Amino acid sequence: MVLVLVFFWGPLCPAQTATGTEHPRAKRVLMIFSEGKDVLGNVVLEQAVRAEMQKASTNRIEFLTEYLDASHFSDEQHFHLFQDYLGKKYAGQNLDLIMAFPSKDYTLAGELPEALFPDVPVVFVAVNEMEVPFAISKLGVTGIIQRFDFRGTVGLIMRLQPDTRRVVVIGGTSETDRMALGRIREVAQSLDGIEFDFWTNRPMAELPGAVGSLPEGTVILLSTVQRDVTGQPYFMSPLAQMLAPSASVPMYVLGGWALGSGAVGGAVVDPDVLGARAGHLAMRVLRGTRPETLSIEVATKGTPMVDWRALRRWGIKEGRVPPDGTIRYRPHSLWEEHRNLILLSLAVFLAQAATIAGLLAQRAQRRRAEAEILNQRVELAHVTRVSTMGQLASALTHELNQPLGAILRNTEAAELFLQNEKPDLREIQAILADIRKDDQRAGDVIGRMRSLLKRRSLESKPLDLGGLLEETVTLVRSDALTRQVNLVSRVPARLPVVYGDRVHLQQVLLNLILNGMDAMGGCPAEERLLAIQAVKATDGSVEVAVKDCGAGIPPDKMERLFQPFFTTKPNGMGMGLAISRTIIDAHGGKIEAENNPGKGATFKFTLPANHN
Amino acid sequence: MNPSPATVFIVDDDASFLRSVSRLLRAAGYAVQTFESAKELLERLSPESSGCVLADLQMPGMNGLELQEALGRLANPLPVIFLSGQGDIPTTVQAMRRGAEDFLTKLSPKEKLLDAVRRSLARDLRERKQRERLRILHERFAALTLREREVLGHVVRGRLNKQIAADLGINVRTVKLHRTNLTRRLRIHSVAELTRLAEEAGWFKDEKLQ
Repeated sequence: MVLVLVFFWGPLCPAQTATGTEHPRAKRVLMIFSEGKDVLGNVVLEQAVRAEMQKASTNRIEFLTEYLDASHFSDEQHFHLFQDYLGKKYAGQNLDLIMAFPSKDYTLAGELPEALFPDVPVVFVAVNEMEVPFAISKLGVTGIIQRFDFRGTVGLIMRLQPDTRRVVVIGGTSETDRMALGRIREVAQSLDGIEFDFWTNRPMAELPGAVGSLPEGTVILLSTVQRDVTGQPYFMSPLAQMLAPSASVPMYVLGGWALGSGAVGGAVVDPDVLGARAGHLAMRVLRGTRPETLSIEVATKGTPMVDWRALRRWGIKEGRVPPDGTIRYRPHSLWEEHRNLILLSLAVFLAQAATIAGLLAQRAQRRRAEAEILNQRVELAHVTRVSTMGQLASALTHELNQPLGAILRNTEAAELFLQNEKPDLREIQAILADIRKDDQRAGDVIGRMRSLLKRRSLESKPLDLGGLLEETVTLVRSDALTRQVNLVSRVPARLPVVYGDRVHLQQVLLNLILNGMDAMGGCPAEERLLAIQAVKATDGSVEVAVKDCGAGIPPDKMERLFQPFFTTKPNGMGMGLAISRTIIDAHGGKIEAENNPGKGATFKFTLPANHN
Repeated sequence: MNPSPATVFIVDDDASFLRSVSRLLRAAGYAVQTFESAKELLERLSPESSGCVLADLQMPGMNGLELQEALGRLANPLPVIFLSGQGDIPTTVQAMRRGAEDFLTKLSPKEKLLDAVRRSLARDLRERKQRERLRILHERFAALTLREREVLGHVVRGRLNKQIAADLGINVRTVKLHRTNLTRRLRIHSVAELTRLAEEAGWFKDEKLQ
């Protein structure tokens, strides 16, 4: 076998050396593990080594992996079969590096490659307490040995659980196991007040029951159990998995790969860190550095590493984990786990929000526009009402001024004539006849106006008086604001239906409201209160009252209030109330005025509820 | 040309009002003539008519403002008082700007109306006299010879006889003669009076003296 290899490798090696790293062929690395794929630590370590080497190399590296599976097949015969198998399998294959991951001894790193591939450089990675045999260094093999960090682990225990009074150490009986225990004892001796209990003489199979009844203040430290008292081999990770669920107290481990098996943690060998270092070393060798020139690294410092789930299980605060420590298995936050989904959702949400905001803004704008239109309509209606009254007043003024002017002049003339010593009586008679005629004319003007109103008011329809009141109040609202009049309307929700002409009744309301506001012109602003009230009267009719806080009506003028051309306003026409009375009369109602007990006056009108 | 006695010419389409105002003014001692339309008044007025016009603003056919305009074109425009049923501000302003004596409503107090009539008649008298004086001045001016007008032009500008003589290329004595003649014909006794009259008659404006 060796000869065959030599035969094949002999001529090839110089060529390979000559071309060096420029060789276009992918580098081939054979990784040989003592254990099987079921050892979690090895799988993690292998991944870490591969990752580190691929990262550092520009060329493609081809990894080949073999598992001896020594814990399941520990006999020598199996080892030989494995060795023969490797020899035959890789005969004629160009290997550039062998990486050995020994567990119980260094055969894998020394004798086996030496026998099969004497010209291929070897780098080993060992995680245990084994002493490096002299033979290995003589073979020119390099590697990394990671020792367990007992001191660090005990330190972590004390930090996480300062109340610990007792440490139960579970260990094995193999030489390596005993070495590990020995080092734990060294640490134990340096600690006062903490009792260390070494469980080495109990079969592991019994332990799940035994660890279930440990008292508070105790912790379990799992050392290596390569072989228990019955000779049964164990690995740290499965053993931890076996014990942790039933344990009544927290358990600590020494190897990082045992993390996640239920243990709290330990100052452990971090497979990622170790893998990176091993990968780095392997790359140096792969690039041509002779292994024998590189000394074997031995590391003892572990990384404090804890299992988040175990912290929760035992109620240990996260804050106790040292700053350089690592917490594993913390469930990813929603953010970490669904970052893209969250971002996408957020984007969708924002887009939606923006759309909604846009629509809302549009809606608000539309409502503003609508409100403005309504406002304009109201103003227009107001202007129309007022100008209608204004036009009416203007026409009336002209029509009435003719006969009134004639009456006035005639009277004045008559007075002057009568001053004569001999007044011309025929002239006086003619004057009086003219006055009578002009008076008749003035009356006719009023009559025409009345008939005009009558023609208009023929429409008598069921009327929502409350709605009409509200509308009218709206009409004068801005006017009231300008005049600083506080306008209050009290209208019951349900009023009996009255019959009438909406337009004319509104004119009456407008008239009374505007009169009321006029009456308060001289009052202080805070006293200007105009109350509009509608009530159902006892006889079923509806009474509307407009109450102001103005100067009130002089008693001597009360009688003439509703007569045409009677006014108390400087520029008044004296037609408003006369027209109002005409309208209310036409509706079969009554209109009247009275002074309030306090200030101001109240104008009331009634409208019969029945349609006659 | 003696003017007719001062008369108040009343125009209103409303017969009853027309009658009433006419009665009042008659009672107050005025001579009155009534017309039911502006057209009728304009037909009946003569250049000798004196007094004032009392007119309604709103009338069918020719309205008050149109009547005012037509009166203004006459040789002897009569002052106008407007009486309206209800006057709006723009109309009032327009009427007053055109020289209306007053603007009253039909319900204005008697005193205001009579006062306006009194003022109008006085104004008419004053303006009539002024117009008459100017008419006479114009007549006298028209009687001047061309050379006399030339000399007058120089005199009212304050030029000395010597200068005038040099400008016109005539003898100083001749200038003096023209001056004597024109003051006699215009019946003026001083240069100051001459200048005032020339201005009043609008001779400067008319450039008749250029």
